[in-house]
Amino acid sequence: MGYVVAGYSIVLSILFLYGVQLAWRRRRLTRAVERVAASEVGHDGQAGGR
Amino acid sequence: MSPNQGVHPAPVQSPRARLTVRVVGIAAAVGVALTVWLGLWVTPPDQVQGNLVRLVYLHPGVAWVALYLAFGLAAVASLLYLWPRTRSLFWDRLAAAAVEVGVVFNVCTLISGSIWGKPTWGVYWAWDARLTSTAVLLVLFLGYLALRRVPAEPEVRAKRSAFVALFASVDVPIVHFSVLWWKTLHQGATVLNPDLSPTIHGSMAWTLLLSFVALSLVFVWMLLVRYRIGVLEDWLGSGELDVALRERQAEGMIDDEDEAA
Amino acid sequence: MWRDSVLVAGKDLRIEARSKVALSQVAPFGVVALVMFAFALGPDRSLMARGAPGLFWVAVLFCTVLAVQRSVSVESVDGARDGLRLSGIDPAGLFLGKAAAVAVQLVVLEVVLGLGVTLLYGARIEAPWLIAASCLLGTVGLAATGTLYGALSAGLRVKETLLPFLLLPIVAPVLLAGTRVWQAALAGGVPADGTQWLRLLVVFDAVYVALGVVVFGPIQEAA
Repeated sequence: MGYVVAGYSIVLSILFLYGVQLAWRRRRLTRAVERVAASEVGHDGQAGGR
Repeated sequence: MSPNQGVHPAPVQSPRARLTVRVVGIAAAVGVALTVWLGLWVTPPDQVQGNLVRLVYLHPGVAWVALYLAFGLAAVASLLYLWPRTRSLFWDRLAAAAVEVGVVFNVCTLISGSIWGKPTWGVYWAWDARLTSTAVLLVLFLGYLALRRVPAEPEVRAKRSAFVALFASVDVPIVHFSVLWWKTLHQGATVLNPDLSPTIHGSMAWTLLLSFVALSLVFVWMLLVRYRIGVLEDWLGSGELDVALRERQAEGMIDDEDEAA
Repeated sequence: MWRDSVLVAGKDLRIEARSKVALSQVAPFGVVALVMFAFALGPDRSLMARGAPGLFWVAVLFCTVLAVQRSVSVESVDGARDGLRLSGIDPAGLFLGKAAAVAVQLVVLEVVLGLGVTLLYGARIEAPWLIAASCLLGTVGLAATGTLYGALSAGLRVKETLLPFLLLPIVAPVLLAGTRVWQAALAGGVPADGTQWLRLLVVFDAVYVALGVVVFGPIQEAA
């Protein structure tokens, strides 16, 4: 039974950790995209004012 | 130079897409939890393998995802990218996402197979056809990912990766059959195959099916999120460059108007 | 296509004949590898004789990587690759020509390594035709896949580390089959077993040569 528990724990941990990593990456990137998009709007405003 | 993607609108995900991903994720989590509960407690131990058989609710499932779902999708998507009429970076990003998630499941397959092998065969590793082909597939996947890290235009990178995926897909069946022959030609008794059980009845069969469904849902969720990450990364890769260029222009470093004035 | 391939093969082989890289660097490296294997396996002669087939093919694989890298680097100077593309040479012919040149070099290397194995490990060959067939068929497969992956990694700065990593898993069947045929062909083996594996090599070769002919053009455009 020890092998079974070990197997389940390892595999499920790997999947869980990878899933968390994916979610975290997605959140970080979404924020970065929002920042870049916002700054572009800002600059377009400036360039248009020239 | 890459097309001026900074001009393109930021890739916003529709609320429906976000909801879909969330629903899939929740379904996957519930499915896995249910599988674990059924697999570890509700289902009976096997006559032959005892409690070890509980690994059948884990190992074949992840193997199915890694070897068929992930790899198959990557191969098909790569082909679709290479085919001129269906060429679209969508397929390339899908393939890349499938490969990365596939690597994770592949590692899980090898680990769960190895853990099952120790009490069954006495060793952590045996050169049987399945394990060996899975290991070779892992290395091929890793090569694909390594090649993708090389900085390049999205289309060039896509084409290169697609070819690597194509060659790998062709190779995997050949490897599988050669290792199968290799192991069985001069070996007398066949090694006990852990993913076949003499009789699967009742709750075990249902749980097995559930495990496949649950793990496939996990794969789909991971695929969707990883795909999204790819879209965001690609947009940022070119978008940031344009923002940086424009910022420099605004600072007057590459400003023709001032010079003319 | 055939005329172009002969042209390209001739060019590559002439370059090799003049620079003698394969002969003066790759072959000695192969022999050094055989010697290293002997050190690793220890003085037990029977163990080495039994391991000879596998060690031979591993050494061949290492030499293949080097030969392919050489084949690719020959064109990376001064935009020669673009020149080749623009000159209107049929890409399929280019593929066959480069693969053929690599194959010829590999065959020569295999003769050297084969001699090394018989001398150093005491392997005794009982079915020379099996040996020859496996070497020829295996070489075709190695040259074809090597040329394909060489082209894929041609423009990259990391190609020295990436190429072996990409190529070696792909040619695992050649290693397996070649080793089994050799085991059948050496003293103590059963020659009949060898022919099954030769068939596998034929399939492998057919698949990758066909793929190469079809796909080499698009690969060149992507690199």
